[in-house]
Amino acid sequence: MHDGVYAGWLLAAALLTSVAGMGWLALAMQVHGRQVWGQPASVGDARLLRLLGASALATALLLCLLVDHATMAVLVWVMSLAAAAVLVAFTLAWRAHWLGALAPWVRARAGRAG
Amino acid sequence: MASHSDNVVGQSFRQAMAWLHTWFGLVLGFVLMAAFFFGALSVFDREFDRWAIPSTRFEPQPMPSYERILRPAFERMQPTRQAVDAMRPRVEGEMPARFDTVGSWSAYTTHRDPVLALFAGYQVPNAKDPDELIWADATIDPRDGTPLPDDSLKVGSGFFYPMHYSLTLDWKNLGIWIVGLSALVMLAALVSGVVMHRKLFREIFTFRPGKGGLRSVLDLHNLTGVVALPFHFFFAFTGLLIFSAAYFFPVGHTQLHDLHDLHAEVEARELGLPHKRAGVPAGLADVDAMVADAQRRWEARGMAGDVGFLVLQHVGDANGYVSVYRAGTDRIALVGQGIHYKASSGELIREDPVATPVGKVAEFLTGLHLQHFRHWLLRWLYVLGGLLGAVCIATGFVFFVEKRKRQHAKQGSQGARIVDALAVTTVTGMVLAALGILVANRLLPLDLPARGDWERYAFWAVWALALVHAGLRSAPVARGLSNPAWREQCWAIVALALAAVALNWISTGDHLLRTIGAGYWPVAGVDLALLATAAVAGATATALRRRATAARNAPVATRRGETAHA
Repeated sequence: MHDGVYAGWLLAAALLTSVAGMGWLALAMQVHGRQVWGQPASVGDARLLRLLGASALATALLLCLLVDHATMAVLVWVMSLAAAAVLVAFTLAWRAHWLGALAPWVRARAGRAG
Repeated sequence: MASHSDNVVGQSFRQAMAWLHTWFGLVLGFVLMAAFFFGALSVFDREFDRWAIPSTRFEPQPMPSYERILRPAFERMQPTRQAVDAMRPRVEGEMPARFDTVGSWSAYTTHRDPVLALFAGYQVPNAKDPDELIWADATIDPRDGTPLPDDSLKVGSGFFYPMHYSLTLDWKNLGIWIVGLSALVMLAALVSGVVMHRKLFREIFTFRPGKGGLRSVLDLHNLTGVVALPFHFFFAFTGLLIFSAAYFFPVGHTQLHDLHDLHAEVEARELGLPHKRAGVPAGLADVDAMVADAQRRWEARGMAGDVGFLVLQHVGDANGYVSVYRAGTDRIALVGQGIHYKASSGELIREDPVATPVGKVAEFLTGLHLQHFRHWLLRWLYVLGGLLGAVCIATGFVFFVEKRKRQHAKQGSQGARIVDALAVTTVTGMVLAALGILVANRLLPLDLPARGDWERYAFWAVWALALVHAGLRSAPVARGLSNPAWREQCWAIVALALAAVALNWISTGDHLLRTIGAGYWPVAGVDLALLATAAVAGATATALRRRATAARNAPVATRRGETAHA
């Protein structure tokens, strides 16, 4: 399964999914929702975001398992989670509204409400 | 009432943890910083070797033919004069001029090694411990067997890597014990840090650089500690495991010598692999045929692979045998699937069985740390983990100093000033020292005798200069201000990193356009990392200057009352 280019794309997808997953988990948190939209996501939205986040992280693990032997895949996954968390934290610190792109429907609803 | 007393106990437990975290972290943080930083560099040790020894800049090679390449190279090897002198006190009588009774010859390579490391152990006549061998090692070009000059220092695997686990303090293995102890303390620091940090998950994405002062430093400390917590924990733990396997558990060797020997003999009898020489001379069958047979057997098991480790035991003796191990390129393991042949006839003695579950866990834990696998993404993620650890420790230092310096300034104490100077030396000074050895490597004349020693001296000299500089510039800390040495050493990093890239270009002609164009990533990667280092250091220096200017203009009162932590 370790065929150069194909494996490379799968791993890139795993990294992107980790970042999206961590981003959704962050958006579900009140304090970060406020940073991104000026107000936290509604209870329902937060639940959906947490669900999306968890499934994305699980998908990332699956993608890692497709590429490498399980012993190696687990390490790649755990480390990609760390990298994704740092990236999300730095994005929140300097360009918080960028994360809003991960959940455009939340902003639309907030706009209607406001 | 009960809940109240629980609360009090909880409080004092937390305070005890805070005390432990602060002081253990401070004292051994200096060592841990070196372990993390040089560990991160060691992930790419072979690549630093290529950068530092331009004659080895070619593609990785498979294990070469024994008959054509290895045998002549092994036969040329002899222990160095230093090794002979070191052995002399452990021998009754004179040392021989030549060592001819070969205990073992071995060759080790990985998928990242263009050059091949050879090891030879010889029996020493009249040694006080007859089992003790005298060792020689060599590095050859596996394409034609040409040896590399002995005094060309492999900056990555021969310097950064030993710095990572021993600080290169070789006297009585002192450095290894210090680093091992620090790994233990680090586990304590991690646990106490988790206990102290009440909002571990709620603040996992929290970094507030705008808040200034202590808050942002503490955020970064928590962030880098928490997101890479599995990495920190597992690397401290597996590092400790590797350390204890090498220096603690061999009580069999040191305390229970007879029992150990008996066990080795019983094991050898069970495996059919002789523990000792028979004393009867014997010839050597075709080793290349044994290697080919081993590769066929791996393929038949559905795990075709390259040879990582080839060992000839008791060379020239009737008890001699040849072991062929598969490189652990696609597994979290160093080598494995050993197959053993009788040296005189080439007949199969045994195939190592599939590891027991316990053996597999041990293999995974050491393989995870030593990482000889082929996975470039995971390698870079390990570098990230190591650097996050370094940032975590560095921000710990900064927090310690920032929290105390105004109070110390009021009391006229020099404590914060001293810690700050040491922190500058450990953070920016360490980067400078690592750059110093690279620059020296490119500047020193190729034919300089003991060139490798001079490169090491350059490393320590740069580091010592960084300490002196940090100390001389530290006076403002005693007045509650920041040490300009942080900023100045950042600029020095920019200068040295750019100089290293330029010197590599001038001395070898390998500039980035050429190495990237040719796809020679070991050298291109080191150069790119140096440029990235220069960029980060430059940005940091600029930000520090801006902050220093702002601090001078702002009244002190606004920067008070930040956090009560530690």
